[in-house]
Amino acid sequence: MMLARVADSLYWIGRYVERAEHMCRLADVLLNATLDRTESSGQVARMVISAVSDGEHPEEISPWDAALAITMESGDSDSVTAALARARENARQVRDQLTTETWERLNLIYLRVTGASAHREFSDAPSQFLHDIIADLHLFKGAADATMSHGEGWGFLQLGVFIERAQLTGRLLQAGFGRSLGRPVTEHAAMTALLRMSCALEPYLRKHTADIQPRLIRQFLMFDEDFPRSLRFATARIEDHLSGVGRNVDLGGAAGPERLAGRLKARLLYAEAETLTGEDSDLLVATVLEECARLHAGIYDTFVAYSLEMRLPA
Amino acid sequence: MRYALAETPPMGDRSAAAAAPYDEMIDPAGDVRPHYAALARRVASLSDEDLAERQRLLERFFLLQGITFTVYGAESSTERIIPTDLLPRIIPAAEWATIEAGLVQRLRALNMFLADIYSEQKILMDGVLPRELVLGAPSYRREMQNLFVPHQAYANVCGSDLIRKPDGGFAVLEDNLRVPSGVSYMLANREAAKRTFPGSFRMAGVRRIEQYPDLLLSTLRSMAADWRPNPQVVVLTPGVYNSAYFEHAYLARLMGVPLVEGRDLVTHDNMVYMRTTTGLRRVDVIYRRVDDDFIDPLTFRRDSSLGVAGLFNAYRGGNVVICNAPGTGVADDKAVYAYVPEIISYYLGEDAILPNIETFLCREPSQLSHVLANLDKLVVKAVGASGGYGMLVGPHASRDERERFAEALKADPDNYIAQPTIQLSTAPCLIDGAVDPRHVDLRPFILSGDKIRVTPGALTRVALKKGSLVVNSSQGGGSKDTWVLGEAEAAETRS
Repeated sequence: MMLARVADSLYWIGRYVERAEHMCRLADVLLNATLDRTESSGQVARMVISAVSDGEHPEEISPWDAALAITMESGDSDSVTAALARARENARQVRDQLTTETWERLNLIYLRVTGASAHREFSDAPSQFLHDIIADLHLFKGAADATMSHGEGWGFLQLGVFIERAQLTGRLLQAGFGRSLGRPVTEHAAMTALLRMSCALEPYLRKHTADIQPRLIRQFLMFDEDFPRSLRFATARIEDHLSGVGRNVDLGGAAGPERLAGRLKARLLYAEAETLTGEDSDLLVATVLEECARLHAGIYDTFVAYSLEMRLPA
Repeated sequence: MRYALAETPPMGDRSAAAAAPYDEMIDPAGDVRPHYAALARRVASLSDEDLAERQRLLERFFLLQGITFTVYGAESSTERIIPTDLLPRIIPAAEWATIEAGLVQRLRALNMFLADIYSEQKILMDGVLPRELVLGAPSYRREMQNLFVPHQAYANVCGSDLIRKPDGGFAVLEDNLRVPSGVSYMLANREAAKRTFPGSFRMAGVRRIEQYPDLLLSTLRSMAADWRPNPQVVVLTPGVYNSAYFEHAYLARLMGVPLVEGRDLVTHDNMVYMRTTTGLRRVDVIYRRVDDDFIDPLTFRRDSSLGVAGLFNAYRGGNVVICNAPGTGVADDKAVYAYVPEIISYYLGEDAILPNIETFLCREPSQLSHVLANLDKLVVKAVGASGGYGMLVGPHASRDERERFAEALKADPDNYIAQPTIQLSTAPCLIDGAVDPRHVDLRPFILSGDKIRVTPGALTRVALKKGSLVVNSSQGGGSKDTWVLGEAEAAETRS
């Protein structure tokens, strides 16, 4: 049993924390790539900017300014600072549901990125600054895993994490290889950068060795069974957690979001991964993004904003 | 440790009100009082840097826990912690025994008074208090008339403000029976003190206060109807932007009950439900931290969005219990306060153990003329205001301020009371790296349900500005931990 509003907040904490971590990696990889004055750095910059700009063609912006905006811009809900502020605001609203250990971690990160010296720390050593935030976010996730009950609240937190993750990976794949955006990445350095952005470089190398090809990267980020940021892994977790939290809901015969989640999981589980053409991959990624948006709405309608008439006590 | 007593305040006359304040640590002869001896030695053994380091540790603890309030600016907002003092205030066992007995007696009488006022009104018929004083008070709720309240426990949570007078005795300055706050600071200060002075804490034999959330939960459960076997208790908060939000979340977490906002609750067929992920669930007891005016837009203020439409009807129907009961404010009204000793003797046939402060009711013409003639020596308070607002501290006010206040007094005398300026006792505080006396008060918390329970501890509020007598956090006040010593240990320190 859990308040509907609380479930909603926990879900959003999961989403914002995942988003903040992803944005840190994008900013870091972007700054790193600009150290080389080659064609690949241009590809990386284009990729990052299109991954964060909702498909619109952005005006020319220097990589440094882009990284700064991704990290610090306060009005933009996609920046690291804004995402962390929102995660923390949600955590404050459900402070009674989080363990002290978990809350302290998130509060600490928030105090650091919004502190008076944050701008200076970022300008002095951006890589270190971003690296520390990522490490702290991992501590947050670890503290949550180790101290929170893995019950309903945990389920909503994880749903947020994995829906956000599936969408972020999907958008990154579109930015890197999507035909609709023109110019897919081809340079070796740009492809490595793409793997870095999804924290996949080392796991990828272990699986496919240093043989870096667009087809294998795509396969890895979409279909790998064990890599925690692959679409297949994320959608399997979504299905898993959704069937956990949905167990006690009586929908009076109507189909809940579990059906959507199960179908999405199956799409990735049984796709013909080895022979999928680039075009079909694009379609599948687009489908995953659409289905995630429907799941997001479905979760809200089922658990949070349900109509009272349907649930009045007998 | 250099520690100089606060100077006798410069005042026109040498009346009792102008006597030197009582110091909690040092007696008038300049010796450390026995119950402070161990702490004084410990503090003396620490260098200024050590003390500063401990103060930093303390502040970091509060910051990490999120025990902060947000200051909203135009561009950005910053988080500030509530000022917290490092050095605990210590109360020996014997003194606490008197305080505890006095608090229990007072709350018993006030609950009986509320039960009477909201039913037969015998006390008014016997002429102990003027009828219009009670029934005309803005905090009197006609809606509560003849409504059954279990155990006659109207004020389930009470936080009374005590002060120590220059002669060393405690007196009650104010009762808070509506939605008293500050208990989370009492608990958080304790948690912090255990980290900053672990050795002294252990040796002093301080009585435990950590059971407070458990006691609060049993008190709230005892208010539920007998036929509800597992009563669902919730804490109702106005929301995250309320300055006491931390406390609401803290208590809900430590009691293990849901923290709800008005929008989480719905009423249906005179029952109250909360919206959960799996549907509606019945609520039995609501520990509300929302003022009377805002709990139900259908009964009280219509423009309130913090409450629950239909809540009061469900309460009248006996299907839910609201704690504290609406309408308890009439018993902590500043004019009714003047009659509390009479209320105690009327219902209990006893003398008040904890005395009141002498109070002049401006509604009485003879007392009004006395107040107007002595404005420079008195503290004048508006009956309906709290938090240190709407008051005049005569000795510290300018002639101009006094004249303006006199006009207000003459225009609406019913709305004001006056009290002599009391020198609150002083306690050692760490101010800018040095130990210096500051004025303090004492807010203990008393619970009443099936029985009355006092937690052996309190929130000690500190007026951080030198010489200031205003301890409210909204006016530059801070707080510190309060150590109530156990019996055995007290004997040990005496020997």
